Amino acid sequence: MNSQSQRRKNFKIEAFKHKVELDPKYAERTWKVLEHAIHEIYNNNASRLSFEELYRSAYNMVLHKYGDKLYSGLVATMTAHLNKIAKSVESAQGGLFLEKLNHKWADHNKALQMIRDILMYMDRSYVPTSHKTPVHELGLNLWSDHIIHSPNIQARLQDTLLDLVQRERTGDVINRGLMRNITKMLMDLGSSVYQDDFEKPFLDVSACFYSGESQQFIECCDCGSYLKKAERRLNEEMERVSHYLDAKTEVKITSVVEREMIANHMQRLVHMDNSGLVNMLIDDKYDDLSRMYSLFKRVPEGLSTIRDVMTSYLRERGRVLVTDTERLKDPVEFVQCLLNEKDKHDKIISTAFNNDKTFQNALNSSFEYFINLNNRSPEFISLYLDDKLRKGLKGASEEEVEVVLDKVMMLFRYLQEKDVFEKYYKQHLAKRLLSGKTVSDDAERSMIVKLKTECGYQFTSKLEGMFTDMKTSEDTMLDFYAKQSAELGDGPTLAVQILTTGSWPTQPTAACNLPPEILTVCEKFRTYYLGTHSGRRLTWQTNMGTADIKATFGKGHKHELNVSTYQMCVLMLFNSADGLTYREIEQATEVPALDLKRCLQSLACVKGKNVLRKEPMSKDISEEDVFYFNDKFTSKFVKVKIGTVVAQKESEPEKQETRQRVEEDRKPQIEAAIVRIMKSRRVLDHNSIVAEVTKQLQSRFLPNPVVIKKRIESLIEREFLERDKADRKLYRYLA
Amino acid sequence: MRRSSNRKSSAAAGSGSTKAASKEFEKIDHLFNVYADKSSAIIDPEGIEQLCSSLEVDYTDVRILMLAWKMKAQKQGFFTLEEWRTGLKALRADSISKLKKALPELVKEVSRPTDFLDFYSYAFRYCLTEDKQKCIDIESACQLLSLVLGTQFGPQVDKFTEYLKSQSEYKVMNMDQWMGFYRFCNEIPFPSLENYDSDLAWPLILDNFVEWFRENQK
Repeated sequence: MNSQSQRRKNFKIEAFKHKVELDPKYAERTWKVLEHAIHEIYNNNASRLSFEELYRSAYNMVLHKYGDKLYSGLVATMTAHLNKIAKSVESAQGGLFLEKLNHKWADHNKALQMIRDILMYMDRSYVPTSHKTPVHELGLNLWSDHIIHSPNIQARLQDTLLDLVQRERTGDVINRGLMRNITKMLMDLGSSVYQDDFEKPFLDVSACFYSGESQQFIECCDCGSYLKKAERRLNEEMERVSHYLDAKTEVKITSVVEREMIANHMQRLVHMDNSGLVNMLIDDKYDDLSRMYSLFKRVPEGLSTIRDVMTSYLRERGRVLVTDTERLKDPVEFVQCLLNEKDKHDKIISTAFNNDKTFQNALNSSFEYFINLNNRSPEFISLYLDDKLRKGLKGASEEEVEVVLDKVMMLFRYLQEKDVFEKYYKQHLAKRLLSGKTVSDDAERSMIVKLKTECGYQFTSKLEGMFTDMKTSEDTMLDFYAKQSAELGDGPTLAVQILTTGSWPTQPTAACNLPPEILTVCEKFRTYYLGTHSGRRLTWQTNMGTADIKATFGKGHKHELNVSTYQMCVLMLFNSADGLTYREIEQATEVPALDLKRCLQSLACVKGKNVLRKEPMSKDISEEDVFYFNDKFTSKFVKVKIGTVVAQKESEPEKQETRQRVEEDRKPQIEAAIVRIMKSRRVLDHNSIVAEVTKQLQSRFLPNPVVIKKRIESLIEREFLERDKADRKLYRYLA
Repeated sequence: MRRSSNRKSSAAAGSGSTKAASKEFEKIDHLFNVYADKSSAIIDPEGIEQLCSSLEVDYTDVRILMLAWKMKAQKQGFFTLEEWRTGLKALRADSISKLKKALPELVKEVSRPTDFLDFYSYAFRYCLTEDKQKCIDIESACQLLSLVLGTQFGPQVDKFTEYLKSQSEYKVMNMDQWMGFYRFCNEIPFPSLENYDSDLAWPLILDNFVEWFRENQK
């Protein structure tokens, strides 16, 4: 039938088309199988099912475009089951409610898993293309909608959970495992479910609870106990979270506790009478302070609150300390007190406040504030050092010495008027060196090094000069005696300390009349010295020397008296007279009145040292007194020390004088600073000069703006500066 | 006299101005010699006193000081010939009557702000009688202030001199403080003193004055 030509032209083999039409009844049947399977799964009868068959059925349905039917059927079936479950859960009594819910949830998950496995093909192909929710998620959503948010369950669930928490907070033991499962369930259902159905109400209820509890505690507890309770609650909540809440809840609940228990009551706690921060500081309550620190650290402004209260307490305490007139009578005690306070608070900060730098700074600024309230602080600190270097550190090891000196340096750093300290330190050092009364040369040197490190070379160059002088004098004396021994013979032995003027504290030299024996040997020394050092000038400082005199009293008692030069002059007079009036002594020795009175007082009015007898026997020296050699003097010591060259707290007039000298010294320093500044800036307004000068001099002292103005005017008068002609608020440097 | 002056003016109109100039100074010089001391050829304090009586002006009158300023006189109490010539020429006076008439003009001239400043500082320097002297004692300063500023800034001057006399810290006043006070009178409203700021570059003596004044107001 086919022509050959036709066949050759268009021979095509067509694909075998087998139209497989799933008839609707088949779809329905297949669905029924699956529906049945779902029922069985929910009824825990899954073991009898064939996974492979069910999978194939689902596959076929989807393949033959019955995905919609499958899906909506799934939804309907699940929903029906869930409604049944809901009723079952609702009917549970009391405590069994949660258990049932938990149980059913576990079941549902198992079921869901199986269902999803069966319907996996649908999940992968039908669901995405038709933008439906995947099976697993669908299962969760349906659970949410029909169980959790079921009207009879939702509120009850929330109340049950919160009630359990409340019970646990008040001391009951609850089933934590069950709680964990429930909260995990809520998390699985979506974090918004967890938050809305549980977390938010939980936080609100907790806030209420802690608000009430904190109010209750604060009425009846002292600060320390309250903080302990707060800490306990905080720890409890954190533990709660770790056991049965979602981890993200931790920071939320802790901030609730922090706010309710700490932040809202901060002021009241800190200022609590008898147990607040100040009391803790006073009583060194390290634990309580440490607890307060770590708790307050959690809340805004917490640490700054502690810091502020501590600062104002310290300032007030310090102010009281430095203005306490009783304490001021003993400078060494005064400084020791300050050191003790510093130690105490250092320890508090390192033990309880975690060495927090901001607290250290607050401590430092408080000390700086009150130390400078008393303008004798520099003098007293120097006296303290004098006491330590003279005798206090006797026998101490090198480390101990360093520790003490370093602590004093801390106080020194707080001083505003460091130049006043320098003046006193120089005076006291001079006395120590000249009387040979220093506990350790190394300690002295160490102190100088510390001052140099702190203040620079200029501060200590003169002090070092003093040490050099002492050494040089020693060498000079050796040489003197080596060369002159023949000529000196039996004269008194001389020990001269040659002080370079300028390095040593200046004191007005009032020469007195030296006894002839002394004069001779002094002249010999002068000749010797000027022989080797021509061009120099020597002036005897009779107010600073000492002498050892051999004295014979009644019954042949011999003693060696160690006295000051002035005292020696007085005593030697009694070699040629048994009694002398004050006036006679004054005239013969030419010792200045104030010094003469002081030295006569120590010779005649001090028990155990009264080598002179005074008539009348009154305590004070008057110009009408008469003095007699005290034949009856006795002492158990062979060597008796009567010298008065010890550093002591200055009397009021002396203090005024020193301060005046300090003020005088400051003037050239201020002027030098002004000139330096103007030289580089050329033109400057008044306030800027004051600010710059203050900045430049702050390591030594705090200049008074009025004094600065006066210096500027003096410089204008001497034509170093002028007022600018155009703008008279400015100053101009004149080259 | 008249005829000679006419002769002078007619000659001036024509040639020979130098001739006229020397002739002009001739009268001035002549007047100078009336009051000058014969031996020193300088008008000394006595001569000035006579001049004052001729002018019918008290010798403590501020107008004499103004005259000295016009003359640029260097030394208080003395007028040299040069100074005399400078002053009288500037005032266009060559007789006592003309000089007398020139005084009111002079006063007006001095009161002009720029001229007054110059006059004010001149007044201070005029009182520095010794070589290298930089200050005048407070008593004299007070007198000078009243004389020079009394009419213009009476209340301030009164209060300031009261203060100066009552305090003992300052025994002398220097140029800087002198000039500062004038600036003070010009810039600071009195007696409110509202915009006075001691943190600015006012001389310290004025800071102290203001403090004293405010204390006394209470």
